[in-house]
Amino acid sequence: MDTLEKAVDRVLAGDRAAFQQIVDTTSQKLVRLGARIMGNRADAEDVVQEAYVKAYRALTAGDFDRRSSTSTWLYRIVVNGAIDAKRSRSRRHETTDEVQIEPGWDGAAFAEARVALSELDEWLAALPPDQRAALVLQSMEGLNNTEIAQVMGVSEGAVEQRLVRARAALRSRREQP
Amino acid sequence: MTDREDIDQRLARLAGATHTLGPSLGFSARVMQAIDAEAVPGFWENAWFSSRRLLPVAAIAAALAVGWAVQVDRSVDDELATSYAAVGFE
Repeated sequence: MDTLEKAVDRVLAGDRAAFQQIVDTTSQKLVRLGARIMGNRADAEDVVQEAYVKAYRALTAGDFDRRSSTSTWLYRIVVNGAIDAKRSRSRRHETTDEVQIEPGWDGAAFAEARVALSELDEWLAALPPDQRAALVLQSMEGLNNTEIAQVMGVSEGAVEQRLVRARAALRSRREQP
Repeated sequence: MTDREDIDQRLARLAGATHTLGPSLGFSARVMQAIDAEAVPGFWENAWFSSRRLLPVAAIAAALAVGWAVQVDRSVDDELATSYAAVGFE
């Protein structure tokens, strides 16, 4: 059993401090995933923070059945939260390509990451959030279709369909003059 | 995107460029604060949780009180009937 699963055992036994260990172990991957879907780190942090609160609530209420690994479960909460946030943002007609000023960006590596994130967001902005999430999970997070299906809570066929549609939309956009 | 650059190649390049992304300083502490804020119950929540524990005891006490009241009522009726009978004899 890995460190994450052991930390979950401790939280289930009432050790609240063990949840901090879960946050420390997973936050980099989850914020990076959230940023790739949301298009900026500030929104990603909001989504991931909310995901952790939901996860803690579920753990302490005994609602986590452990049918999937903790990592997959956390991915699922973040992806669902990011898709919902993206949808509600588009309902509010907010533009996603506006430059967001985020505190805490420093260093050349982060500057490069910010530029790349901005490029990614602009490029994928036209995709529906579920297609964008599927594409990010496959091509940037390295998950296979079975894992994406588990994370998104849909069939593998639905994942395949989302990926095909996303790629077709990006291709047609590229072919436009 | 250049014409030659494939969708997956571009995604792979952007994945590499965003690999250093992580939470800002103090993120973990903010998460734990949010969890703590949620964990501290309010006055009514506290009152509800406390009263919920007392609910079975209160139900038993209520049932006993009803039983006692019925019993007292019956014994009063019996007493009255006896005294009316005594008055009748007199």
